[in-house]
Amino acid sequence: MSIHSERKIFGRLQVVLPFLVAGCAGRQSALDPAGQEAAEVYHLSVVMVIGGGIIWLTVIGLLTHACRRRRSAWSEEGAGRLIAWGGVAFPVIVLFALLVYTVWLMPSIRPWLGRAVAEPDRIQVIGEQFWWRVRYPAEEGLAGFETANEIRLPVGERVVFSLRADDVIHSFWIPSLGGKMDMIPGRTNVLSLLPTKTGVFRAPCAEFCGVSHAYMAFSVVVMERNAFDDWRRKQASGNRPEGSKGERLFTHHGCVGCHSVRGTTPIAGLGPDLTHFADRSTVGAGTLANTRKNIERFIRDPSAIKPGAKMPAFDMVPPGDIAAISGYLAGLR
Amino acid sequence: MRLIPKEIESLWTLFTAPTIWAVHFLVCYVLVAVYCEKAAAAGFTFAQMRLVLVLITLLALAGIALSAWLAWRQWGFGSGDPPHDAPTQEDRLLFQGFATLLLSGLSFVSVVFVAVPLFFIETCQP
Amino acid sequence: MTDVSMRDLSHEERAKQERELREVWQTPSGWRYWTSVNNTEIGLWYGATAFIFMLFAGVLALLVRVQLAVPENGFLSAEVFNQAFTLHGTVMMFLFAVPVFEAVAIFLLPSMLGARELPFPRLAAFGFWSFALGGVFVCGSIFFGAAPNTGWFMYPPLATDKAYSGVGADIWLLGLSFIEVASIAAAVELIAGIMKCRAPGMRINMMPLFAWYLLIVAGMILFAFPPLIAGDILFEMERMFGWPFFDAERGGDPLLWQHLFWIFGHPEVYIVFLPAIAIMAMIVPTFAQRPIIGYSWIVLAAVGTGFLSFGLWVHHMFATGLPQISLAFFSAASEAVAIPTGVQIFVFIATLLAGRVIFSVPMLFGAGGLAIFVVGGLTGVMVALVPFDWQAHDTYFVVAHLHYVLIGGMLFPVTAGIYYYYPLINARRLSERLGKIAFWLMFAGFNVAFFPMHLAGLRGMPRRVFTYPADVGWEWFNLISTLGAFIFAAGVAVVVIDVVRPKHRQPPLEVNPWQAGTLEWISEPEETWGVRSIPIIKSRYPIWDQPGLLDDIKAGRYYLPDVQDGARETLVTSVLDARPEQCLRVGGTSIMTMVAAFSLGGVFIALTFHWWMLTLVCATLTFAAITAWLWTGTAQIPRSEVRDIGLGKSLPLYRSGPQSVGWWGMFITMAGDGTAYGSLMFGYFFYWTIHDDFTAGHAGPGMLWPLLAASLFLLAWLAMLLARRVNGSDRRWLMRAMLIFSAFLTAAGCGAGLAGPHLNAMDPTVHVYPAIVWVVAIWTAVHGALAIVMQAYCLARSLAGRMSARHDMDLQNVVLYWHFLVITAVTSFGVLGLFPAVR
Repeated sequence: MSIHSERKIFGRLQVVLPFLVAGCAGRQSALDPAGQEAAEVYHLSVVMVIGGGIIWLTVIGLLTHACRRRRSAWSEEGAGRLIAWGGVAFPVIVLFALLVYTVWLMPSIRPWLGRAVAEPDRIQVIGEQFWWRVRYPAEEGLAGFETANEIRLPVGERVVFSLRADDVIHSFWIPSLGGKMDMIPGRTNVLSLLPTKTGVFRAPCAEFCGVSHAYMAFSVVVMERNAFDDWRRKQASGNRPEGSKGERLFTHHGCVGCHSVRGTTPIAGLGPDLTHFADRSTVGAGTLANTRKNIERFIRDPSAIKPGAKMPAFDMVPPGDIAAISGYLAGLR
Repeated sequence: MRLIPKEIESLWTLFTAPTIWAVHFLVCYVLVAVYCEKAAAAGFTFAQMRLVLVLITLLALAGIALSAWLAWRQWGFGSGDPPHDAPTQEDRLLFQGFATLLLSGLSFVSVVFVAVPLFFIETCQP
Repeated sequence: MTDVSMRDLSHEERAKQERELREVWQTPSGWRYWTSVNNTEIGLWYGATAFIFMLFAGVLALLVRVQLAVPENGFLSAEVFNQAFTLHGTVMMFLFAVPVFEAVAIFLLPSMLGARELPFPRLAAFGFWSFALGGVFVCGSIFFGAAPNTGWFMYPPLATDKAYSGVGADIWLLGLSFIEVASIAAAVELIAGIMKCRAPGMRINMMPLFAWYLLIVAGMILFAFPPLIAGDILFEMERMFGWPFFDAERGGDPLLWQHLFWIFGHPEVYIVFLPAIAIMAMIVPTFAQRPIIGYSWIVLAAVGTGFLSFGLWVHHMFATGLPQISLAFFSAASEAVAIPTGVQIFVFIATLLAGRVIFSVPMLFGAGGLAIFVVGGLTGVMVALVPFDWQAHDTYFVVAHLHYVLIGGMLFPVTAGIYYYYPLINARRLSERLGKIAFWLMFAGFNVAFFPMHLAGLRGMPRRVFTYPADVGWEWFNLISTLGAFIFAAGVAVVVIDVVRPKHRQPPLEVNPWQAGTLEWISEPEETWGVRSIPIIKSRYPIWDQPGLLDDIKAGRYYLPDVQDGARETLVTSVLDARPEQCLRVGGTSIMTMVAAFSLGGVFIALTFHWWMLTLVCATLTFAAITAWLWTGTAQIPRSEVRDIGLGKSLPLYRSGPQSVGWWGMFITMAGDGTAYGSLMFGYFFYWTIHDDFTAGHAGPGMLWPLLAASLFLLAWLAMLLARRVNGSDRRWLMRAMLIFSAFLTAAGCGAGLAGPHLNAMDPTVHVYPAIVWVVAIWTAVHGALAIVMQAYCLARSLAGRMSARHDMDLQNVVLYWHFLVITAVTSFGVLGLFPAVR
């Protein structure tokens, strides 16, 4: 088969396969790559699934044939040759080829950026039970800032994450961009990714981390460079005080003890940063859609929605106040 | 090669080649793991270490080849075909020789597999 | 008949022999039934208990599936879900997959090898009771909401967080340590049995493949389980006393647990898989009606897998941030292990192709299992490749993969084994019709349940989530999986019904209903003596190739057809050529094994709840029971030195040193013990590698005390060598004096070893360095204390006239223990004393 026609078939498979397996492209799928690593692994998977399918059919075909009643028995030499070729020679060659290819692939999808991108220039992500603390480094005169449960990246540029955890082990995984890397207390792991398509992706915690492991996800927004710059500038400057009732109640009821809205409140680091909260797509680290009603529900009793959440219930706060706070947060653009 | 008697009356010879594989594997893993944690204090570079590991690999392969040759000799240089299931000491020895030869083959291939990373990965990168 | 040339016994003589054999080997009745140590009973109880645990864990899996059937489901709370999936994995791995192989092995091996019994029947009984008690303890916890809830691999710091994991983690650690002890007991029994108790003439090139596999598996247990036991010790020390082995803030590292767990965990998969394939290796030739093709290839595959499986553990840690080159080494070994696995499958296919296949239910399950397993093997090759695993790791893809491997590679072959071997239990066959229904339900249900999980995983579904949002695109996969799970469960239910339904209306079958060729089919279900007389074996398939074998065995024309001194006897033969060496008397029915197991269980349970007094009481009771059991059941001096075993052959009744099975038992146990010790030392050096200064400025034990301890142990060992020597020349009093002298040296050595960290005020709760030093010192001192107990035991045996110059098995075995101990002590104290200075 010529390289050209191979490409064509391969290309077609790439179009067809995600639909074959799911119907629609997911926001959280290794089968719908939007990054270099994910794409390489996806191609590898397609080849292996097809190859594996052929091997399975051959082996099972032989087995079924062997179990048929009416056939002539093979000679011992023939059967011995089958073991030597099918059981030894073929696997050795195929496995060796796969091994060499993937070992070659490893450094090319996760290149070492230790010297190119120094620690202070990496995006720090810290796993917490059960949310994500994200710290962007300062760059080109813009201050660094902390945010939570959302990461935005410019398309086509390699980014380096510095991954940590203080409580238990979590695992950082953006299926659409690439594979995972654990966040282990006492260690700092590094992961680099290269997003190749714009879009919004969901990223779950991939290591069991306690009661609400299922409710620990963040969203990844891959944007064009200038849109990203705008967002970054906006984040770096924080929110402006608006003097609304909700804003006052946010301080009055003690929310500021754990959460900051940069530019309006003193910095508090216990809970997720809420600056520009309205720009995020979810409440509670991927638990609920970001609507005013959901914010209200969450404030009233977080553990009812997200068992084991560290935030206490605020059901003693008058409903009107909660509504006002929710309104304030839902308006933090 | 008359130093080593042709018929070794032990079950342990069967495990020679896989043991060489295991030792080779452990040496590769431990050396790299310790080097990458202690790189700052080490008096040699990653490239030098890789070279040493390649040499150790060659040594391991030579050891396995020797085990294979001894096994082949015990198997009578392939003069008799399996299954070696007669109730005689001779067939038992042939069986041991043949099984050891097969295991040497597997161990050889496995050592080659384990050596593959030495040729592609150039630093301690995670 | 050619070799059995002796005269036939008269009818009366035969009847008398049979009566006596029946009497000696009889299973006790009434409540004493449970004190039986016969391999057929123990094997059956073991298997039945394991299956009950399997059904329990299966129900948990169904609960998990119901919860996941639809998004945002509220059927189970997160807390219950986490307990359910943890217990499901734990029970399936520790209480079903491993024990069921021990069950099959204990049940089948003696007759397959042509032996009456395995060499340590009481040890097998002890193992069973330990397992049953530990299993009930672990399973029962969920009814009190106290089950472990951190996933079956118990990663710290989540699992060391007492606020989250409660008493569940302790139940896991202590309950399973207890069961691991049982597994190691089984390994000792199986290795010694396979090496030393084969029928005369069964050379290693004629051993049934089942025995080859089990030999390898038992060896793997010996090197795989101890690292986990070492890990459990570190883990419990952290949970109970705050020693910070896995606490990063105080110098510990959660990754050490992952290493120790997976050094156990990956070989474990093969420990589960190989015995099931071993059953296939027995079934395939029977239904192909021909000897297996590639006997040597199977031996290659079993040994090769056994070795390679120890080079795979880091492939469970590809996402932990280790250097890529380390990951690649493990990826390479993980690819290599696929080669022997492929060989096994092709050996079966080749054998079937070269034979004429009779298709029946066991073959159906066997072939179906292979079809499933091959999928699991292919996905295994995929996840072993690092870049692919970075995506697939900890997702439902892995859940699918491991179930394809374990259910295809283990549950289906075991079910095939149930259908195949059932006639050996009850002389009746299971229903062909029900078997087919069960197979198709299980096969279809399995694939419907687990195939979609591959896709769910690649589409981003992480494992161990108790729920998932509706808009991510996993609804259909999960609903289909749940449906499949119930179809699969229905299939399992049909098997259960088939097994338990009354069959007294079915006429009993002939012996060997499948016309198999291997020895296990000579055993008659209604007799408890195993084999009527121990045959001379001349073929891999003796029933096919040795005409008249069955009749000769039954007529008592071979070895040991009679009873002497009312003892249970079997033959010990040489390792390679199976030449008869000794007539071994094995322990009979005893309640001591049960008492020992229950009191040891008491120790572990009391520890879980920190009831220190009860722990002490139970420990004393365990100690007393084990001593009583050894005192009355091992190294008995026989009335006469030799025994006429028939066919004009006489064998000694007592042997010591490397010729005795007791020596082998000690050697094998100490190999396991040495592995656990090695794992602790691995921990010591692990902390050295991860820190720039692993002492973190804390005081060490100094050089003086550790080196003094090492020298004292060395002297004590020399004294033991001397004791053995003077005993050989029958200078009894000198030997006794040496024993006492050595015991004093040992005590002094233990004291000096502990004095180092104690006098330097090393506080193990402050930092991991003092903690690991203490653990190594305590481990060595405990072994020293055990040595003193053994020395006292030898002294008592000598004074009681149960040990002499010729009958010196106790002393020989204790000296063997000392060889291991002196290596341990010199390494421990040498490293503790010198390493901080030379590093």
